Amino acid sequence: MTRDEIKDIILEIIEDIDEDADFDNLDADQPLRDQLDLDSMDFLDIVMELRKRYKLQIPEEDYPELATLTSCVNYLEPKLQDV
Amino acid sequence: MADYRLIIIGGGLSGLAAGIRSARFGRKTLIVERHSLPGGLNSYYYRQGYLLETGLHAMTNFAAQGAKHAPLNRLFRQLKLSRKKFITHEQLGSEVIFPQASLQFSNDFDLLCEEIARHFPAGIDRFRAMAKEIDTYDPFAEVPWQSARDFLHDRLADPLLEDMLLLPLMVYGNAEEHDMDLGQFAIMFRALFLEGFFRPQGTMKDLIDMLLDQYAQFGGEIRFRAPVEGIISKDEKVRGIRLENGEEITADAVLSTVGIPGTAQLSGWPLALDMDEYIGKMTFMETISMLPEVHLPPERAGRTILFYSLNDELKYHRPAQAIDPSWGVICFPDNFQGLERQHDAPTQVRVTNAANYELWQQAAQDKEQYRQVKEECGQQSAAAVSQILGQYNQDAVFQDSFTPMTIERFTAKCGGAVYGSPIKIKSGRTPFENLFIAGTDQGYLGIVGAMLSGVTIVNQHLLG
Ligand SMILES: Cc1cc2nc3c(=O)[nH]c(=O)nc-3n(C[C@H](O)[C@H](O)[C@H](O)COP(=O)(O)OP(=O)(O)OC[C@H]3O[C@@H](n4cnc5c(N)ncnc54)[C@H](O)[C@@H]3O)c2cc1C
Repeated sequence: MTRDEIKDIILEIIEDIDEDADFDNLDADQPLRDQLDLDSMDFLDIVMELRKRYKLQIPEEDYPELATLTSCVNYLEPKLQDV
Repeated sequence: MADYRLIIIGGGLSGLAAGIRSARFGRKTLIVERHSLPGGLNSYYYRQGYLLETGLHAMTNFAAQGAKHAPLNRLFRQLKLSRKKFITHEQLGSEVIFPQASLQFSNDFDLLCEEIARHFPAGIDRFRAMAKEIDTYDPFAEVPWQSARDFLHDRLADPLLEDMLLLPLMVYGNAEEHDMDLGQFAIMFRALFLEGFFRPQGTMKDLIDMLLDQYAQFGGEIRFRAPVEGIISKDEKVRGIRLENGEEITADAVLSTVGIPGTAQLSGWPLALDMDEYIGKMTFMETISMLPEVHLPPERAGRTILFYSLNDELKYHRPAQAIDPSWGVICFPDNFQGLERQHDAPTQVRVTNAANYELWQQAAQDKEQYRQVKEECGQQSAAAVSQILGQYNQDAVFQDSFTPMTIERFTAKCGGAVYGSPIKIKSGRTPFENLFIAGTDQGYLGIVGAMLSGVTIVNQHLLG
């Protein structure tokens, strides 16, 4: 998967778990949590959704890697390269 | 391999929510429910052509759509249900009525503050400070039991105000007699006073159907008329369940929503204390009247829920008689914003009073005696309520009541204890490493609370 595809997947997952998500002014380098007003339960859903779709196991100590859109892409790129 | 990843015992609100959460991420999940209908304590039934809700007075924890961190909206996200499409009707307003004073409150917290300022001028600043403290208190931290009464007295130093605040919070969610745990108090204070009451559009059946549909959408399975007779275990682990018909079904984990005593009986879990300690003493009788019209005194018109006490002190404990009509709850389920009553449809009044389980159990030995006690209690309750509302139920077209025996029969809650065990297990853990509990005895109460409990326990223990 390319970096752009991964980015789209993340946004699609967020949109899917939060019907109020608004990406208009989203800054890819700022924490998703603050910009989209997400909480830890929502982050769990992102992780679970990635696992369901791509059989990806993301250990809890790696959750900070998912803080911003850019860091998500960096973290997932090697893991999803063959998908 | 086991038949299922997760088996959930009980198709009440906590079980359904847990089921959705588990099935949502592709886990093979089975709910087993002993009755032919889902919903547990908060279900519905049909009588003389009316669809009657068994429990619903109001849902708590009101939050406007868009308030992302509010428990109600979080719950919807977790269940992947659309909050936008979920239409709510907020309460008109409620009132706590004691002989010396009364306090109105609504989903706007300012009203309660104004009322306290008016009736307890010396107490308002203290009350505001206390509300702030409660708003930041973490009720889910595992700390030893702490007395809500001591806390309130220390902060407010006004026994009447303390009792008036405690009445709604206790009657809608306290399994203990006399006092309540501070964490539970904080949960209830937020749910009722800071967030507030509403009704979903439609009936309880619509809400339950929405949950069932979502569960089915994610591939979850449910079996009705499937009473569990035992939880099968080997050493420290459970392996599955055995139904009353002898059928055995295996699972990687089991989540029980049937309470601590019920789960202990099914699994042979050696409880730390005597079984009795886990059986709540607070149970209730509720009388539902259908009236062509309710004529309320003008100062009480348009209220949603009245919490009344005819005594200066709140008597939140098991009564010595079959019921204690001297305090209770009067609910008008038609009095919510934007509900339109159909022309000449009767209107409903529901009255709830504390009851004594043992006395009802004795009466139930004999059909005629049970009927008689039920009738007498209905009259006592109506007489007490008429002190507040005037004669309200003379021309009732239909009345039905349920008693601690009804609650026990339909929910398997030992002793008819609506709020379950006075001792809660917040972690949801049991001595078996893959058996968990959710729902009433985990500590979250009410419709929203039960669903949050199911979600939380699955998140904490079962998604890993
Ligand atoms: C009269 C009344 C009025 C209420 N009013 C309100 C209200 O207005 N607002 C509010 O928020 N809350 C209200 N509540 C409280 C609310 O209904 C409960 O807190 C909530 O529904 C509890 O859900 P639960 O899933 O924890 O338990 P339950 O609803 O008790 O679910 C447990 C389920 O397990 C099933 N079960 C038991 N044993 C077995 C077995 N061996 N095998 C298979 N299945 C089994 C039961 O049949 C039941 O369906 C009311 C409760 C009552 C009784």
